Amino acid sequence: MLLSRIVNVRVLAPGTQVTLADGSRAEIVSNPADGIWVFARYLTSPADTSREGTEELIFAPDIVEVLGDEPRGGIRHA
Amino acid sequence: MAITPRMKGLVDVERGQISREIFVNEDIYREEQERIFARAWLFVGHESQIPNPGDYVASCMGEESVILCRDGQAGIHVFLNSCRHRGMKVCRYDEGNTQIFTCPYHGWSYATDGRLVGVPMFKESYDGRLDRSRWGLVEVAQLTNYKGTIWATWEPSAPPFLEALGDMKLHLDTVLDSRDGREGGSEVIGGVQKWIMPCNWKFAAENFAGDAYHNISHRSVDIVGIGPSGRGRRDTDERAFATRIGASFPALGHGAISFLQAEDAPYTASYRDSPIVEAYFKHCDEERRRRMGAGARLLGLVGTVFPNMSYLARQPRSIAVWHPRGALRTEAWRWFLVDRDAPSEVKDVLRHYAMRYSGPGGLTEQDDMENWNYASVASRGTIARRHPYNYEMGLGTRSADHGLPGVITDGVAEQNQRGFYQRWAELMEACS
Repeated sequence: MLLSRIVNVRVLAPGTQVTLADGSRAEIVSNPADGIWVFARYLTSPADTSREGTEELIFAPDIVEVLGDEPRGGIRHA
Repeated sequence: MAITPRMKGLVDVERGQISREIFVNEDIYREEQERIFARAWLFVGHESQIPNPGDYVASCMGEESVILCRDGQAGIHVFLNSCRHRGMKVCRYDEGNTQIFTCPYHGWSYATDGRLVGVPMFKESYDGRLDRSRWGLVEVAQLTNYKGTIWATWEPSAPPFLEALGDMKLHLDTVLDSRDGREGGSEVIGGVQKWIMPCNWKFAAENFAGDAYHNISHRSVDIVGIGPSGRGRRDTDERAFATRIGASFPALGHGAISFLQAEDAPYTASYRDSPIVEAYFKHCDEERRRRMGAGARLLGLVGTVFPNMSYLARQPRSIAVWHPRGALRTEAWRWFLVDRDAPSEVKDVLRHYAMRYSGPGGLTEQDDMENWNYASVASRGTIARRHPYNYEMGLGTRSADHGLPGVITDGVAEQNQRGFYQRWAELMEACS
């Protein structure tokens, strides 16, 4: 887990793929822009494969990495 | 300790005397929150403020901050705006659209139907055992949508809204129905005007319930020409062909002043500077008479739905709520209404008239506030509190009938205010 890296979830657009703390990969479905939660669909979830394809609210600290291009100004390093 | 106004001689409607204590005493104010505002049906907002799923506005019920919102299926809800975990506001904006309401303190998150849907560290720290179904947002006990206006109460055993409204419905409809006599059809134009007044909330509520005596206070605005056409009196010429009546509903606390037009009353033009607006209102008048028949003779003027929702039924047509913020502090909110399908030119002219008439910048509202504010200051002293206010006007006289329900008075009287305080005293004395 990248403790020194903080993802600003407010700027994550739908379609953005992220890596979660438990190693899962998920795709942002919608973003209420509260800086705390995003709705995302699990793409892979090695720890619990039953979650793959399901949508959940993802807590901001559980998002450890943005895959692909990082949103402009959206990520800062602690 | 329960306060019993009658036992203490605070409210004496038979003699027409009311103690200043009920306007300045903080203990009585606190008691009101429990006995009146936690029980009564309260106006929360208008459906046109939240037209789409996910739309919300922050509102108030008494001192409580609440959220009026539409869920994903377009259902309307009113929730206490307070996280179930540590009480932080979950909505800190006046209005918007959202999927969820998130508490910024620890991150508990609620769907727009109130369900607790997000609990940080649910598995790690609650071990997945927190019963989220028990910890949704606190929702009002009852809610109703009456002709587009949203009302709610925290009291599960409160009578249904229409029962609590009673025959005041006849007068409230004069502000909520379309100008052409169709039922409902209003929308809020512009934002909600909000301001603070250093006075007790009851000053405003009783004024709109039926104070036809204070016209002298508004003489200056008539002199400067605040009228619909930008000159002349603020009220329209309709009054020349009508009888002013007071309608009091003491068992419910509501009061209204309305006009009863003569059967052969002609249409009187008010918006003479704007042919489009004038033509619109003339058409509405014709349609209203055709649709309502004799019922069209009743023209609303002002009223208060107990405890703290007041209206202006003629132009500028608006709803006000007097939110209690302390014995000597009131937060006033005012919504301006127009017919949803009125032409844009009409809405624009009415918007301008509303702005120069009501709200914190409105000339007429300023007159009223000046009176309430200084009355409050002048009533809180030790000596001042010893001397009650006088509500004797029309005691035992001026009663009329006109075939209308309620206690009807002709002309200028203070029956409506006595009716308001009679209900207030009953609720303040009632067992919890």
